[in-house]
Amino acid sequence: MPTTTSTSSSFSSAASSSGNRQADVFSRLASSDPEVKLKALREVKNQIIGNRTKKLSFLKLGAVPAIASALSDSECNSILVQSAAALGSFACGFEAGVQAVLDAGVFPLLLRLLTSSDEKVVDAGARSLRMIFQSNQAPKYDFLQEKNMKFLFSLLNSENENVSGLGASIIAHACGTTVQQQVLCDAGVLEKLVILLDGSLSQREACLESLATVLKNNPEAVSRFVGLEAGRYLSSVTELTKDRYPRTRLLSCLCLVVIYNTSPSYFLNMGTKSSLVTTLLELLNDHGQSGDDAALGLSSLIAEKEDLQKLAYEANAIKNIVDILKTGSELHPKRLQGLFLSLAELCSKLEDCRCSFLSLEMLDLLVNALRHKNADVRTAACICFRNAARSVKNLSAGRFTNDHVMLPLVQLLHDPSSSVEVAVLGALSNIVLDFSSPKSTFIEYGGIKQLIELSKSMDPNARCSALRALRNLMFLADNKRKELFYSEVKAQGFVSLISDPEPTVQEQALALLRNLVDGCINSIEFVFDEDGLILDTVGKQLRKSPQAHMAIQGMYVLTNVASGTELHKEAVMQQLFPQPQAESNNFMLKFLQSHESQLRSATVWTIINLISPSSPGAHDRHVKLRDEGIIPQLKNMVNDACLDVKIRIRTVLSQSMSFGDN
Amino acid sequence: MATSKKVITRDEWEKKLNAVKLRKEDMNTLVMNFLVTEGFVEAADKFQRESGTKPEIDLATITDRMAVKKAVQNGNVEDAIEKVNDLNPEILDTNPELFFHLQQQRLIELIRQGKTEEALEFAQEELAPRGEENQAFLQELEKTVALLVFEDASNCPVKDLLDISHRLKTASEVNAAILTSQSHEKDPKLPSLLKMLIWAQNQLDEKAVYPHINDLSTGQLKTPSE
Repeated sequence: MPTTTSTSSSFSSAASSSGNRQADVFSRLASSDPEVKLKALREVKNQIIGNRTKKLSFLKLGAVPAIASALSDSECNSILVQSAAALGSFACGFEAGVQAVLDAGVFPLLLRLLTSSDEKVVDAGARSLRMIFQSNQAPKYDFLQEKNMKFLFSLLNSENENVSGLGASIIAHACGTTVQQQVLCDAGVLEKLVILLDGSLSQREACLESLATVLKNNPEAVSRFVGLEAGRYLSSVTELTKDRYPRTRLLSCLCLVVIYNTSPSYFLNMGTKSSLVTTLLELLNDHGQSGDDAALGLSSLIAEKEDLQKLAYEANAIKNIVDILKTGSELHPKRLQGLFLSLAELCSKLEDCRCSFLSLEMLDLLVNALRHKNADVRTAACICFRNAARSVKNLSAGRFTNDHVMLPLVQLLHDPSSSVEVAVLGALSNIVLDFSSPKSTFIEYGGIKQLIELSKSMDPNARCSALRALRNLMFLADNKRKELFYSEVKAQGFVSLISDPEPTVQEQALALLRNLVDGCINSIEFVFDEDGLILDTVGKQLRKSPQAHMAIQGMYVLTNVASGTELHKEAVMQQLFPQPQAESNNFMLKFLQSHESQLRSATVWTIINLISPSSPGAHDRHVKLRDEGIIPQLKNMVNDACLDVKIRIRTVLSQSMSFGDN
Repeated sequence: MATSKKVITRDEWEKKLNAVKLRKEDMNTLVMNFLVTEGFVEAADKFQRESGTKPEIDLATITDRMAVKKAVQNGNVEDAIEKVNDLNPEILDTNPELFFHLQQQRLIELIRQGKTEEALEFAQEELAPRGEENQAFLQELEKTVALLVFEDASNCPVKDLLDISHRLKTASEVNAAILTSQSHEKDPKLPSLLKMLIWAQNQLDEKAVYPHINDLSTGQLKTPSE
């Protein structure tokens, strides 16, 4: 009867004895006796298959170069088979192994095996090459070279299923550009691939993967594929979504998703769409790689398509996904990413989805995902938060603003991955809209400071998103919050934001400023800090003929400032008509003639505020506007196509009449 | 009760059955499918020569597959693993669950032989890392190692692991994986057809009285009154 003591002693000795055994096998790999060498090769192969730990330890011993030299030196078929199989296993699902195998220069050696007369050698070579081609590190394959294309076709034409499968795998993993897709299609690759659809399991799987690669985002290739024998092969792929092997079902679904996303017109039939959704949902329950891939496939299928989101919702997608997330077992990061992205897509447009998602009490799981070690999972969780927070009902119920949610979100603002940063900013932008109470957790945790920090990021997307979040945070904010924010940025800070090299960032900066100076007189004073530095910069930007979107936000800044005191209105006039005037043509005239109705509207609003009758200087400003040709221009616009603009112009003109102007 | 159901006499029924035309080749394919899937190589070989029916796969691969299956059934798991790897190295490299179950069976065999030290070393070196990779494996590993704790392993809560049926379960799992890698169904078609026959009879029982096939081995028709 064993005791605990004997257990612990044998456990500690196990590691070292296995290390000795590995070193022993390793030394025999270099033996000059072919029998000993063959035995050693077989032993290494049998030890590493299925065993990552052993792969790693043999890798560290330097086994890969040793096996590579056995492969290159030997003429003996058994040695070739065993060494190719061992190298293939190192490359199977183990990135460090792929790297080592490629570094050892075995690629051409394995290719040579394909020409052997011994079927077993060919099989071993083709299998190992296929393993390598399943990795992103696989060597680039130049399809544009004629001899390479010829070789590829010789593989696809092979009677040996491992060899033709290898051909399909090469396409699946090495074809990336539209040009490559085109060259492959022109060479007739689609016609070859569809033959493999009727082949063995591994041929079929490799074929489905490569079809997806060749057709992705290439409408011309898709129409060519669908046109083959009048749509026969599109039906074959659709039929395979009901296959008995989950991997085959998955790969055919992914192929259809690619075709759908590229050319939706081939999917007019609602039944096809809905069976695609339900098959992917079923596959989510697969515990292996197929389930992991199905999650991402589903999110890609329903992305930005309201009809499919609805179908998925009706097929109980939300409940299914949440149940999987709640199982408690550790899920592959790829699966988590896909599941959260799918939930995010479901919540992107449909309020019913958001409510049903939030009713399933899984905010805790989502919060955990924000702390996941994988950046893609964190990003997906943030996007999910962002879209769920589009539910005004739940947002105003304060579901997202408690400490439990807010702390991890604010912490992610420091995330090393820029995609996480941008995603969390998206989530916060929506959530901060609900900061009705001045004492908010977000601000307590230093959220504003961190957003300002990110508004100076090197990544323009991060700058833009940070400013968008701040803009929402300042929307109808009280003066205390505005002051807190302004004391961190200061006039100089604002000037550099408004002068950012990226127009989209400038636009968000101006929109933020517009919200900052909206409201009471005190708020307007911010732009007069440091001798009106901010207002001068806004004026300067507007005079540089900016893009319409930017100009709109700039004009609203002026509108808001012009709603203030006499002093404020005069300062705006200074920006509109600076002395000495450099250009002959005033930018206001250009804005009034813009195609963008919002810009016309914003400009007319500024004028309304400048000549509002309650202020003493209104008459003088009106005279100036008339002399500069602004009022006459408005008179030409009384029948503006945009109703909003038309009504505002009538307000100005009736005001104008009260000043005695006809 | 029975009076409300339609009564079909033996004559009528046999007439109907005779009207169904089955191709001899289809029947032969069905038999061959059974022999190949279940691994009866010699029978398949003879049947091929006598009936001219082509097997779906190379008969030599059946011999290899049966050797693997037999090795597991006899408790020679290491031997079985090496044979699978010779057949197709991808099977165990891409099927972590099957690989774990084979290693677990190896551990069980060591425990059965009373090689405690070796069993612990094996569990530590080969199985523990798999348990770290997968929560479910860890639980199964704990259950297996628990065999060592009991004085009388044949009478403990996890004694099922030592049962011969566990070997058979592992053996059929490997068998199925090899068949799948050869693009072959893992179950023969014939048993499913017989299940369908029984199901259809049960359905029909609610509506009619007719001659039954009760004994599948003879296929004799029996009218309920007889």
